[in-house]
Parts: sequence; C-alpha cells; structure tokens
Amino acid sequence: MSNPFLKWDTASRREFMLRTAKTTLGVSVLSHLDKAMGAAEPAPAGKGGKAKAVIYLYMGGGMTHIDTWDPKTGETKGAKEPISTNGNMQLGGYMTNMAKVADKITVVRSMSSKTGVHEAGNYLMHTGYEPRGTIVHPGLGSWAHHFLGKVQKTLPSSVVIGSNNASSGFFPPAYAPVPIGNPDAGLQNIKTTVGEDSFNKRLSLMNEFDTAFRDKFKSADVKAYNEFYDETLKLLKSEDLKAFDLAQEPAETKALYGNSGFGKGCLLARRLVQNGVRFVEVGMGGWDMHNNIDTAMSTTGATMDMVFAALISDLKRTGLLDSTLVVMGSEFGRTPTVNENGGRDHYPKVYSTVFAGGGVKGGYVYGSSDKDGREVADKQVSVQDYIATIGAAMGLPVDKVVFSPSGRPFTVGDKGSVVADIFA
Amino acid sequence: MKINKYLLTGIGALALGALTASAATRTWTDAQGRKVEAAFIKLDGETIYIQTADGSVHPLPLSRFSAEDQEAAKTMAPADNANILAQVPTNATAAQAAGKIDQLVAMGLQKGNVKLAEAWRKQVAEDAKKGVKTPTPTALKPNPPCTDEQFIRRVYLDIVGRIPNYTETSVFIKSASSTKRAELIDKLLASDGYVNHMYDYFADMLRITEGTNQVRTLNYAQWLKQQVVANRPYNEIVFEMLTAEGKVWNNGAAGYLLRDSGMPLDNLANTLTVFLGTDVACAQCHDHPFSDWTQMQFYQMASFFGATTTRLNGKDFAGGDPEKKLTEELTYMMEKQGKDVKEARIQVQNAVRNVFTANRMSIKDRDQNGMKLPADYKYKDASPNDPVAPKLISWSPKDKENPAYKDAEAELGTSSTSKSTSKKTAAKAATSAAATASAAAKNEGLRNTFAKWATHPQNPRFAMTIANRMWQRAFGLGLTQSVKSIDNPDESYNPELLKHLSSEMVRLKFNLKEFMRVVYNTKAYQSEATTEALAMGEPYYFQGPVLRRLSAEQAWDSYMTLVLGDKVDSIKNTEADLYGRSVDLDLEKATPQTLISKVTALQTLGQKQAAKMGGSLAMANKDDAKKKGTGAAMEKMEDEDMMIVKVGNMKLMRASELEQPTQGGHFLREFGQSDRTVIDGASKSGSVPQVLMMMNGDAQKLLTDKESLIHRTLKLAKSPEDKTEIVFLSILSRKPTLREKDLAKKELQAHGEEGYSNMIWALINTREFTFMQ
Repeated sequence: MSNPFLKWDTASRREFMLRTAKTTLGVSVLSHLDKAMGAAEPAPAGKGGKAKAVIYLYMGGGMTHIDTWDPKTGETKGAKEPISTNGNMQLGGYMTNMAKVADKITVVRSMSSKTGVHEAGNYLMHTGYEPRGTIVHPGLGSWAHHFLGKVQKTLPSSVVIGSNNASSGFFPPAYAPVPIGNPDAGLQNIKTTVGEDSFNKRLSLMNEFDTAFRDKFKSADVKAYNEFYDETLKLLKSEDLKAFDLAQEPAETKALYGNSGFGKGCLLARRLVQNGVRFVEVGMGGWDMHNNIDTAMSTTGATMDMVFAALISDLKRTGLLDSTLVVMGSEFGRTPTVNENGGRDHYPKVYSTVFAGGGVKGGYVYGSSDKDGREVADKQVSVQDYIATIGAAMGLPVDKVVFSPSGRPFTVGDKGSVVADIFA
Repeated sequence: MKINKYLLTGIGALALGALTASAATRTWTDAQGRKVEAAFIKLDGETIYIQTADGSVHPLPLSRFSAEDQEAAKTMAPADNANILAQVPTNATAAQAAGKIDQLVAMGLQKGNVKLAEAWRKQVAEDAKKGVKTPTPTALKPNPPCTDEQFIRRVYLDIVGRIPNYTETSVFIKSASSTKRAELIDKLLASDGYVNHMYDYFADMLRITEGTNQVRTLNYAQWLKQQVVANRPYNEIVFEMLTAEGKVWNNGAAGYLLRDSGMPLDNLANTLTVFLGTDVACAQCHDHPFSDWTQMQFYQMASFFGATTTRLNGKDFAGGDPEKKLTEELTYMMEKQGKDVKEARIQVQNAVRNVFTANRMSIKDRDQNGMKLPADYKYKDASPNDPVAPKLISWSPKDKENPAYKDAEAELGTSSTSKSTSKKTAAKAATSAAATASAAAKNEGLRNTFAKWATHPQNPRFAMTIANRMWQRAFGLGLTQSVKSIDNPDESYNPELLKHLSSEMVRLKFNLKEFMRVVYNTKAYQSEATTEALAMGEPYYFQGPVLRRLSAEQAWDSYMTLVLGDKVDSIKNTEADLYGRSVDLDLEKATPQTLISKVTALQTLGQKQAAKMGGSLAMANKDDAKKKGTGAAMEKMEDEDMMIVKVGNMKLMRASELEQPTQGGHFLREFGQSDRTVIDGASKSGSVPQVLMMMNGDAQKLLTDKESLIHRTLKLAKSPEDKTEIVFLSILSRKPTLREKDLAKKELQAHGEEGYSNMIWALINTREFTFMQ
C-alpha cells in the first residue's frame, strides 16, 4: 500500500486524528496564540492587495545589477551590451528571454541597503530587519499566515524550495515555511512502508510510550514537535499532496522550465500556488561572482533568465499572473567596477529588484541609479520599503504593530513605506 | 557555631586545597537572621567571598546579608592572599574544580532569588493599591540529581555525539561503583567518538564546507580533526588558522582564510564574532548603531589582513603568471597530435584552468598592505579610499595595560601608522631602502601580530568566549544571551561564573578536553534537566541543563549506532588525502607534462571514490554476513578496511565523515544541519518534512531492517520481556516502565515478530528520543 492516508475518511480515522490533536495540545495552543497576537485587518486602500499568492525568487550571493536589470554603457558596462525589450526599458545582455516579457515586469533600480555581508543581507531581504542576538524576525510567509491564516486546511501556507529560510521567527513554529530540498523529489517520504493498520498501531504506540515524557516537559519546543506531528498526519491523508508532484505536469510544460534545480523549483512553485499555498520562495545560488563574472553570467545568469521568463509566461497562460506576485530579490548588488579577477564584489549601495504580476505595472521602471550604477539617482527604496511593498501587495496591514511573545513591537517591513507607484 | 545550610547552599564537604583561615573570623548574619562564622576574604562588586573553618572559600551575594554585615564588608580590607584564595589551585583535580563551579552556580541561584524577592515586594506594593493579592513566587532551587539512565544518555550524546548502544547502557546501569560516572566521562573523553562530535561542533561554528570557488578544501576538515585527536590547545589551533600560509592540502589550517577567499572583510567580522564574542559586522558598513564600534575601527582591524592574499596572481610569481604560457604549450602539443585546433584549445583551457584555479588558492603575505577605507566612507576622521593602518580594538580603558596589547604594540612599533600604500608615503619610503625592507617585513608579520593578540591568554575576550561556548555545549545555554556577542560580561546571567570559567580556561591552558571534564563533573551538569518552559530574554540560573533537541548530527549518529553499534565511531573518510595528492602542482615549476598528469589524476579520482563504496546492511555487519554466506553482498569489497557501506543514497558513516555539509534532502539537512553559511547555523526546530522523514524515511527503514544491530541484539534474548527491555535500552537508554511492559506485551501478542519493528518505530518517533534531558 503506497499511501493509506488518502483513504482516511472513515469515522474512526477522524476520531483518531481528533484525539491526537487534543493529546498534543496542538489545536488549542495555536488558536490561543492567534487571538493573543491580533487578528487580520484590511490592507491600506489603493496600495496593492491584489496578490493572493507570492512567488519570491531569491538570488543568493548578491545578484549583479549592471549585468541584469540596470545595464550601463560606460566604463562599468561589463562584457555584454544592453539589449532592447518589449517593455519600456533596456536590460543586461544576458536577459534575452526576459526581454520578451519585459512588458509584464516592474524593475526597481534604486534599491539601497547598508550591509555588504551575505548572512545579514539575506536576513534583511527576508525579514526587513537586521539580525539580532535577542530575537528572530519572521519572513513574509509567516507574517501572512499570522494576518490571514491558512489558505486551505492541509497544505502549508508557505513553502521554501532550495533555500534555508524556513524559520517562523517569533511566531509559532507551525507558521514556518515547509522546506523542499529537491523539487523533483517534492515532498519526500510520503509513502509508508507498512499497511494502514500497522501504521496506526505504530502511531498509537508512539503516543502511549511518550505520555510520561510529554507530561513532564511542557516546553514550547516539545509542544512545537507535537504540532508538527499533527500537521504531518493531516497532510498525509490529503488529496492535495499531488500539488508537490512534478510528475503530474505535461512534458511540454516541464520543457518550458528546463532541467535546472531553479527551473524545477519554479514549476513546483506554480503548482503550489495553483493549489492554495500562499507564499513560495524559490532559492537560486551562484550569484557571488567575485571571479570571471562573464562566464558565471553565461551559465547562472542565463538559467535565471530562461526560468524567470518561463514562470511569467506560464502564470499568464494559466491565468494566475494577475493574482500572483512574482518578486526577485538578492542581498545586494555587485561593484560597478570589474575587479582584477574579472569579477564584481559586494555592493549594497544601489541594486535592483523585479516585480511581476499580482497587480503591479508592466514594462515599468521605478527609480534609477546614476550613469555608472554607483549611486541611487532617483527615488531610493530601502529594504524596509521593499518588504512593506510586498506585504501591501498581499493585502497585509503593514502599519499594524504586532508584539512578539517577549513584548517587543514589530511591523511588516519595519515601518517601511509602501512603494504604491508600482501598483497598476 | 552551627553552619547554616540555607545560607551557604552549595558548600560541599569539598575543601579547595589545604588552605587555612588566615584572617580573624567574624559572625555573619543573613537577612533572615541566620548566622555563620567565617573569615572575610574580599568583596568583588556584589559578591562577598568568605572562608569557613574547613578552609573552603564561598562566594555569596552581598545582598543576602544583614545591613550591618553589608556595611562591614564594604569597609574591611581584603585578605592578603585574597585573589589566590578565591581561585582554583593550578593542579586541582577535575572534581575540585567542578566543586568550585557548583559554588558559583549556587551563588547565582541565590542572587536570582534575591532579585525575585525584590520584584515580588514591588508587585505586592502595587497590587495592594488595587486590592489584589499577589501570589508568592516559587524560589529557584537546583534541580534534583539526574538518574543513571538520564546521565548515560546525556553524557554519551554530549561527549561522543550519539546514544549509547544496548551493551554500553546495561553495563553502566548495572555497575555499583561509586566512581562510575567520573570513570565514564574519562572513558568517553578518550574515545574516537569524542573527536567526531567535537569536530561537528567546530564545523558548525567555523562554517566548514567541502570547497570554495570550485576548489575542494577537505583537508581543512581533516586537519581540524587531527587537532582534536591530538587535543591541541585551542589557542594554538586558532593561532595556526589565523596565520596559516600556502595551499589547503599542504596546510589544512589555511582552510580558515581560504573559506572566505574573496571576502576578507566578512572573514574578519566572523573572526571577531567567533573567537572574541564581539559582533562588529554592522561596523563593516557604518558605525555600529548600539555599541561603540566605528567603521574606522573595523577597517583598522581589517588592516591586519591587508597584506594577505588568498589567491595568487601575476604579482606572486617570479616569472609572471604561468597559466597563459602553459596553455599555449599544451595546445601546441595537442595540435601536433592531430587534434582539431579549436576543440583542443577549449579542452586544454578548461583543464588547465581547473588545475590552476585550485593551485592559485593559496595564502601569501605580500610586502604591501592594500587595506583602504571604502569609497563611501562618510565620517570626518578620514577620507574615502584612505589607506588604513592596523590598530587593535579594546573593550575597556584598562585593556591598554593588558600584556596582550603591550606585546602587539611592541611589534607594531610607533611607525605603524605611517606604513601604507599611498603614493606619497610610498615615494618617501623609496628614498630609504632600509625603511622599505622594514615596512615590508612588518606587513608580512601583521597577521602574526593580530593572531598573537587575539589568542593571548590575557586577551579580554578570547578565553571567555570559548569558555562560554563550551558551557553552552554542556548546558544548552550560554552565560550570555548569545555566545556570539558577549557585549558586557557584567550583564551576563552569572558574571562571577563567566569570569571564573574564563580563568579556568587559562588555568587549563586551553585544553578543551580538561575543561569539559571539569564541567561534566559538576553537580549542576549532573542534575535533571529543567522541565519548565524558559521565557525568552529571561536570565537562566543553571539549575541543571535545559531540555535540548538532539542536533542533526546527534540524531543521525544515533541512528547509525542502532544500525551498526559502537564500531561506527571508527569508520573514517580518507577522501581528503586523495584529492590533495591528485591536484597539487607547483605552479612556478609546472610543465605541460606535469599538468597533464594532474588532469588525469583528477579524472580518475571519481572512479577511485566510487570503488570504495557499495554493499548492503548485511555487509556492514559482516561477521554475520559471512556466516550466512551472503556472497553477493561481499562482491564489491576490494579493501575491507577502507570500505564504506552505502545503502540507497546513504553512506553509513557518522556525520563528521560525510560531505560537509550534506546535500539538501539528506537526513542531516532535514534535521537542521547547518548549510555552513552562518556561524552556528544549525537549526533545532521541527518541520513537516522532518516528521515525514522520521516516519517514512530511508534511515527509519534501516532501523526496522532485520540486519540492523538492534534486531540482531534481539536474537540474543529469549523471552519477550527481555526483548522488550533490549528495545527500550537500545533506543531510550532506559528500562520500560510496568505500564510500557504491559503495552509491549499486548503489542507482541497481537502482531508477533512484527511487533518489535512497530515498537522500534514508535520509540524512535517519540519526543523522548528526539530530545535529550
């Protein structure tokens, strides 16, 4: 028997599930916390709110802005000439596929941050806060879970594919994104090795043997584990599991995304969004191009270009683009001047991010850098503004102060201003 | 005079050396009127040290004493030998040193109670206004001593990083020796498993990876393991990492700087964080918003590494960069052999580049310091792009008197500020050949100066940081909110204990094994784990260790123990040797022939690795396999000693011997192994995929496999009762309770042999297994 849970619809099964949930306090703990932390409020009027889902494409390592979204012709140009697009903008010479869907994107060319360190920058671009030793800040998926709850019962509200950002911050662990290491494998280990009866017997033995321990240790960590077991069992008996299975896609769609891990991750992201997952992050590494950036862009850059364009076209084709915001970001840009190893180094002072779908304008450029891409020339956007803008696109009340269990105040994007101009 | 037990909680029968009371004794009274006779030793902040008639010295919170005593203590002169009396004698035994720590823990608890009482009194006054009754707070007290069953599981997981197997557990529990705990600690500290687990800790702390910029740096991990095997003092290990030169396969310590090749500023920020508990990463880009660190200070520190390169280029070869010349020679050779010119060129270029990229990764100190302020430097004390001279940071004005600083300043000399690469200075320097040579020599020695200061026993943070980290390893929490940022030691959970642990680290000459021996022998460590939930941000008083989820490595290694037993500790990965030997090439002397030999060696490396792997679980436990004659499984075994067993995608080895880190999707990663980008990046939270893996994963299947050690151990027992006991002792390191025995009996009656697999599955999936108490 491959997956007995798909047939879990008899009364005894439901009773069993209910009992497990009660024993482990999972249900009551969650609802209690939900109340304590404040309920959802509508988004500020006229500032987005159209994105029912977000696909966050995170380029790990620091994506070069000049070779991608903010091309230059002067001394900092790099190996390729800028190219024209079907949108009202030019793009870096490697972005040949994106040039064909530029009419569907907004490029923000005036991002600016203060940290040139990978870890700190990565953290900032996910949470809107600088890392601290005393608190862990939540990412956008967990914020959305907090304000809006889950979209549907069994699937997680957020998923991260090929990336390490799977913390719920100060929210309960159940708000954490579910990590997928390998998109091809999807959600691994969903097949049980024994039959339905044996599996149930095993679960019941587990709970019996664990009673004394769970009674003794009431720590948050133990409770969190109980909740994860509950959630897992709910998921196992759900039809929605197919959302994780790339094999369900026709060959031509697979071909559109290509064979890279990033391509498969994006295809999986589309499937998940289609099935009711609200926030999916897809990570792509390889952007820390200190050496030979032309070679690196010809491989890493070309893959990103192909996959990003495929995702936008596919979302358009499936009618999801209007309600799905795709965002591409990275911890910083890269130095305008090419270094002695033919690479570019970390550069947070000015860099670019990209938005598509979910109610944002197409063929639009917001803000600019100066002639050589060294400074913000117009309409600077901070990381806090950026996070607040994504939040607003999802309809989150970004001005609302939420208190962590330790009593400290936080908002989506740390009081950043929503860049309302990018919304159509 | 009767010694009041409450006042002196924590005073054992232990006397620290043969010290006698030297000053006149006095009767001390606590706030509740209880009395004790003792000599005054010294007052250190809010801590009073008094010596009782048995010679032992007790640190106690001043606030516990009567107002009169408090006044007296403030006016009394310290005893002549006050500092010596308050310290642990140089040659103290682990038990003696542990006793001293327990005193300080007890004192911390008392101070905690004083604080609780104060807060309570305030609350009472407030509540009285509202007419509300304030509930009496529960006083903090040490947790009860842990049981032998709790102890053996904890101490195995902490020291050797895995659960004990059935034999190890039952032998220990049965032993009636009164010294068996100390003996077990000694045995484990001397074992192979200690190396595996200590390495795991460092690998997470130092972000150790397989490679950087497409170059494999496995020798770094191998070198670190060798240091742990030799129990090299920690200060020497760090010194060697900070000052290493050359390629990683010739000098594994070079891996530390090469890990961050191309990002020296990040490397420095990490160095300060990981070794000195000082978070200055913010100052990399601007003055630190909350601490005093400035961006100038950050660059002054970075300047110590300003003459160091981690990638050789034209400047570093006497005859210029040899890559182009060699590529041309090789292409010419291939053309002569009749290869298509264009294709030959691409092939040659790629092959040469691979070997060169690897061999360029080498640390060298150049004679010029290239460190400059960033182009966006915005403070008034200097201009953007100005050269920066090296200068050490300090944490307090007193630091200047510290020998660590005096030594460094002597080496830097007064002229250190004039040494730079600015054109003006360079032009002046050129007028004097001697001055140039001296500046060059100084630049080449900068890292050395920094490393000596950073690892100096008197450095204000070095010993404290590693002591705090080692304490966190044993108790699950450090003495500060984060071990990465000690900030102000006086604001730690127990300042006296933190300072004492630092001085112990120095007394023990950075011998981490000895330090841990002391910590594991404390009563505090051998107490039950704290059962209450800890509030975030609240101080912890170390009533005992906190409840900890197993680390990814502990969980995986425990699975491996259930499958293979204790022999899993001795299976070693030797890949680093092969890679280093295959790729190493002296670029100055390289010829087309030597280059070709390297390319070939690299190509065959993969085949050699694959040949070492294969097999099945039956083969892993090969004594049995031989008896049963499972010949097919044995086929692939070429070299039995070197053989690594691979089942599915899993190599049956301990985490420390696998890829660093393992790929996404591996058990270890799903369980929270760090991806090694961030210091201490491992996670201990759960997830749905992780639970799925515990329920249905490949590693889980190994445990219920009939060939796994746990199943084979079951065969040794006859009765179902004995077998049930084996299952419990093997997985949870404890005997089943009566209720559990009953449950097991029913399960076995209902499902027969299958019942054992069900029980194994159930126990592995308990929180009791996943957590360590």
